[in-house]
Amino acid sequence: MDLNLLKEAVVEMQEEKALSLTEEYLAGGAEPLSLFKAYQAALAEIGKRYEQEIYFIPELIMAGEMMNTASNLIKPLLADNAGMTENKRGKVLIATVEGDIHDIGKNIATMMMDLNGFEVKDIGVDVPGDRIIAEAEAFGADIIGLSGLLSLVFDPMKKLVEALKAQGLRNKYKVIIGGGQMDDKACAYIGADAFTTDAIAGVNICKAWLD
Amino acid sequence: MIVIGEKINGTRKEVGHAIRARDEKKIQALARIQVDAGCDFLDVNVGMPPDREPGDMVWLVKTIQAVCETPLCLDSANPEALRAGLTHINAPAMINSVSGEQSRIDGILPLACEFKTGLILLPLDETGIPKTSDGRMVIAEKLVSLAKAGGLSEDQLYIDPLATAISTGTDAAMVTFDTIEKIRKAFPGAHITIGLSNISFGMPLRSLINQSFLSMAILSGLDSAIMNPNDRQLKGAMLAAEMLVNKDKYCQKFSRAYRSGKIGSEAAGTK
Repeated sequence: MDLNLLKEAVVEMQEEKALSLTEEYLAGGAEPLSLFKAYQAALAEIGKRYEQEIYFIPELIMAGEMMNTASNLIKPLLADNAGMTENKRGKVLIATVEGDIHDIGKNIATMMMDLNGFEVKDIGVDVPGDRIIAEAEAFGADIIGLSGLLSLVFDPMKKLVEALKAQGLRNKYKVIIGGGQMDDKACAYIGADAFTTDAIAGVNICKAWLD
Repeated sequence: MIVIGEKINGTRKEVGHAIRARDEKKIQALARIQVDAGCDFLDVNVGMPPDREPGDMVWLVKTIQAVCETPLCLDSANPEALRAGLTHINAPAMINSVSGEQSRIDGILPLACEFKTGLILLPLDETGIPKTSDGRMVIAEKLVSLAKAGGLSEDQLYIDPLATAISTGTDAAMVTFDTIEKIRKAFPGAHITIGLSNISFGMPLRSLINQSFLSMAILSGLDSAIMNPNDRQLKGAMLAAEMLVNKDKYCQKFSRAYRSGKIGSEAAGTK
């Protein structure tokens, strides 16, 4: 068994090879969690290649699918998912805010957060602010991720942050806004803690908050 | 092809800055350069923040109309900004856009009927963009019948088949082409327009993807696009495709654009 071989297969987008190695190693009695960690290491490398513009979004999605396939093989072999849930970095609630239905960025961010060890709850598009807050409270989120592509989303986002303040909840959550039009001005206007225009960069910001 | 020039968009940093600084020269230059390239409408999007939209829209409309007569396509989701702009408009205008979302139907459709403008229809609703062409047609049909009931003719409607990113689903372009064909069949008198750049989101060599996509969409029945009219390569791909689908008599649009140096390599005499 050579976990580097597995990692390399995932990094190089060799879907069938990665799957057959995973099956072979599991059948050979490999520690399931060690395989999972090889996948996570591969994913970190894929994220780097994305940042360097060697890989693009299709590779992120393909990596996500390879990871899901592997998780489905590995998870049943772990008692209570031990080692997988206790390694969770923190909880992120994510939504596209009221007035906008764009979901590509949100979906990629959700997938990348999940793959990077966050427990993520995605509550969909066009979600009113009071529902986002209620869901964050119920979920026990550490971070609220607000997505939106249109400039129309700035006001609902601002209102949400103000509602958090009014309810005395503002310090309980980190708020990150994501979307193609986000910048420091939008971030200041809305009163968020950070902005991102890119899913991987957003994940890195959230990691820095919780690690 | 009916080209809607996309450059006057306040969500682009330098344009947003020019709007806030009331830089007439910058905006008028953007209008002229697109008009010179032969665009049929100028899209006018004021960008953010929302509370400034109506005032910025009026200023933009007046500033652009001072130097050209090209019809404007007012691009906003904010009914107040649209109304403010429409009351100052000279030529027959267009609104970008209404969707199947109830708030847009209530806020924007009545404006198009009241001011008798062209109207871009987006077949999406509160649940997002339907994944299938049939799902998009259900919303398109509803919007077309509402618009007609409000007094608009099919010729005033510009239906957008919608393009989602090919990077996140490799059937994205085929769904668009399929939708175009169904719109063409259901509403022969309506126009079909599209914002091109979504298709290539998340990919390298985006302009190459956009050119191929535009050519193929024209074969399916696309007759309008929201694009950069000064992109020589995209324009060349568009004119070549129109010619190839027998929509360019004696190839004259293509040939004329070539002779006037608007398409092809910028070096003179290149064939």
